[in-house]
Amino acid sequence: MLDASPNDIAPLSPYREVKPVRTAWSLHRDPQLAVRELADGLQHAHLGAVLFFCSTEYPLDALGHALDETFPHVPVSGCTTAGEITPTGYGRGCVVAIGFDRRFFTVAPTLIADLESFDLLRAQCLVDKLLGECRRQSTVSASDHSFALTLLDGLSSSEEQVLATLDAALGNIPSFGGSAGDDNRLAHTYVYHRGHFHSQAAVVVMITTPLPFEVFSTHHLRPCAEKLVVTAADRHQRTVHELNAAPAAGEYARLVGREVARLSEADFAQYPLAVRIGERFYARSIQRIHADGSLTFYCAVENGIVLTAMRPTPILADLEQVLTELESRLGPPTLIIGCDCFLRRLAIEALGEAQSASELLRRWRAIGFNTYGEQHHGMHINQTFTGVAIGHPRPDAADGANHGA
Amino acid sequence: MSLLAIPDPTQQMAPTTAREQALVDENRRLRKVCAALIERVESSGAAEGAPYAAFEHAVLLAEQVRERTETLHHTLDELGQVNAQLREEIHNRASAEQRLIEAKQEAEAANLSKTRFLAAVSHDLLQPLNAARLFASALGEHRVPEDARHLVEHLGRSLKDVETLLGTLVDISRLDAGVLKADVAPFEAADLLDMLAHEYQQIAASQGLALHYVRSDAVIDSDLQLLARVVRNFLTNAIRYTARGHVLLGCRRRAGGLEICVGDTGPGIPEDQRKAIFLEFRRAENRRDDQDRGLGLGLAIVDRITSMLDHPVGLASRPGRGSLFSVLVPYAHRPAGKRVQAVTEAMPDDEPLSGRTIWVIDDDLAIREGMQALLGSWGCRVMAARGPGVLEGETASPDALIVDYHLDDGDPDGLETASRLHERWPGLPVLVITANHDAALKHRARMRGFGWLLKPVKPLRLKMQLLSLLERT
Repeated sequence: MLDASPNDIAPLSPYREVKPVRTAWSLHRDPQLAVRELADGLQHAHLGAVLFFCSTEYPLDALGHALDETFPHVPVSGCTTAGEITPTGYGRGCVVAIGFDRRFFTVAPTLIADLESFDLLRAQCLVDKLLGECRRQSTVSASDHSFALTLLDGLSSSEEQVLATLDAALGNIPSFGGSAGDDNRLAHTYVYHRGHFHSQAAVVVMITTPLPFEVFSTHHLRPCAEKLVVTAADRHQRTVHELNAAPAAGEYARLVGREVARLSEADFAQYPLAVRIGERFYARSIQRIHADGSLTFYCAVENGIVLTAMRPTPILADLEQVLTELESRLGPPTLIIGCDCFLRRLAIEALGEAQSASELLRRWRAIGFNTYGEQHHGMHINQTFTGVAIGHPRPDAADGANHGA
Repeated sequence: MSLLAIPDPTQQMAPTTAREQALVDENRRLRKVCAALIERVESSGAAEGAPYAAFEHAVLLAEQVRERTETLHHTLDELGQVNAQLREEIHNRASAEQRLIEAKQEAEAANLSKTRFLAAVSHDLLQPLNAARLFASALGEHRVPEDARHLVEHLGRSLKDVETLLGTLVDISRLDAGVLKADVAPFEAADLLDMLAHEYQQIAASQGLALHYVRSDAVIDSDLQLLARVVRNFLTNAIRYTARGHVLLGCRRRAGGLEICVGDTGPGIPEDQRKAIFLEFRRAENRRDDQDRGLGLGLAIVDRITSMLDHPVGLASRPGRGSLFSVLVPYAHRPAGKRVQAVTEAMPDDEPLSGRTIWVIDDDLAIREGMQALLGSWGCRVMAARGPGVLEGETASPDALIVDYHLDDGDPDGLETASRLHERWPGLPVLVITANHDAALKHRARMRGFGWLLKPVKPLRLKMQLLSLLERT
């Protein structure tokens, strides 16, 4: 086992010689062997918490059981994906994990088992509990040096309310996250907490660290002139029946220039729609087309909203630029936790840029997954790359944390 | 059932052509779009828990946070710039301060070198003056015609005045240069004040003033010589500025020490001049006469000495009624040591000195000759030598040795010379004469039982010291 000897002498200065995080991934189909491979990469005397993302191709009960047995004394959190971001770039059908060194991170996870009844009072209690745990264990001020990671069941259709409520309770603590995926099957997505996978649930992980970090979100879409008004919608099903008082699918097909029957996810990725609020555009990604000509979205829609047709710009150049800006503020990242919309990955693959994307993600030390929606400061958004960049320890690390907007 | 309050003409007649049908369809769609937009506009801002409203709310909140963060960053940037400017200003001020410190150090160094120069020049001036005083004094001992005697007396007084002025200048420069160190020891106030009272009673009487003296048996802790300078200055001033009436010398026992007071019935000092009179070359107006040759350095010296000794000075004055100067001297916690100094001023008999053999070692010919004349006039047999070498052949012990501390380069200093001769003839009375005010030297001389006399040598003092030393043998 690598670096797991308890006789390891702790170096005098943890800031110089120790990696604050370790990462591991496995392609093993067998859950036992996959988890064993993760443990080989992550286990050491100072392992404080594990965060993982896995394909729904795994037998989840067995995987959860193996994780629980292998890491009995550290909290393990995670979710299912629509593709993974591994230490080598994009992966599929695999499991990837991050091990946090407790000398650098205090990690407090919790489960929201019932999304429907999650109100402000519960949110406040939840945040207080997590912050309390971080305060007890961390050497730095928890309210100034923490961020929250949210993992939600991607098919629960409850993200907006849960996030808005949670964000109100989090106050100034930056938050980000992703909606769990299921390899584009759109059947069942799960979040993992304490040995079990849950649906219709969310995991919130509070992470406190003296390392500098910044939560960020970016997309590569720019607005076109065309506008579509939603004239009939079912807000609970996130379904739009009519656009511009015509069957939604037909109207969208007309915009894209295709026949309805030939529309695919690749088109949804290539020709997204977005709402404009203030000066900014927020993509509303289409999930599927129904036989009745209605469209279901990955996020909230409402009668009367105006959708703007968007066109993509070079996706990797945009990401590279954002990460470079982050680097200028934080220094080279020690880790980026990335929530990357699965439609972006579809677009990248359609453009034949998967290799370049993997290379870019590997170079920037990104670990994460492809989502059914991203979360940023209480907003549920689509077709973005949203995450946190964590810098290296600095001599003045205690005051070095940098919270981005 | 239309939300839009615009009459719909397509409701009134059925379309007849395909084009009309298309327009009717379009009208229907546009009305529906309008209705949806109206519904949306009217429901926005409602506090309902609908998913899209929650999203919109979150976006607006995030937007607010972003704006405020930007404002905050902008403010922080501005603060940073202001800080940078302040830092630069601090840096500029620090370097200006550094330049001022350097300039001050240069000025102080220049002042110190000026003071040293003054001390050195004064010393060189004192030597021939000292000789002149000795000559004049020796001349006074001769029988001269009456008119010549007046001239000799004037000569003596003039030399004495020059000596006093020069001595004052030297003292000021020494005080400023920090050369003069206090030699604090316990002594009885009466030891000092009896002597001063006696001395100044005569001076006061000569000016037609009465000096009242109130004795005290307190034991105080101070430098006797320096404190004597202070009280002398008070007394001199009191007599100088008082036309008639009396001068008082007395003490008050205060909690913090013995307050030595000198009062007068003079013109008093106006309030606005009371600070200024302690500065150099400042003198109160209303001087009693204009024969006075003081430079106005007296109180400046008082100020320096009392600062050095840490004795507070007091001044009370009522114009037209008089002034009261005082100095507060701490009580001693040890018994007073016995002082060698003679306290009487009366010129004693020459008798005990008559026929004594006295060696004088001084590298200055004028001093040797002056000493020879003065000591000779007291009936002494004098052997004067430039250095110790000349006297080495002598086998008989002299009755006393007077040696200048500063001898020619190459010769051992006066103390060393005296010590060697003292070894040869233990019990030989030795008097060391020097212009050096170093308290350590004085201490060394005392430790060996040598007498110690500062230049300029006053004949009376010289005689007193010699008599005192000879008495002890």
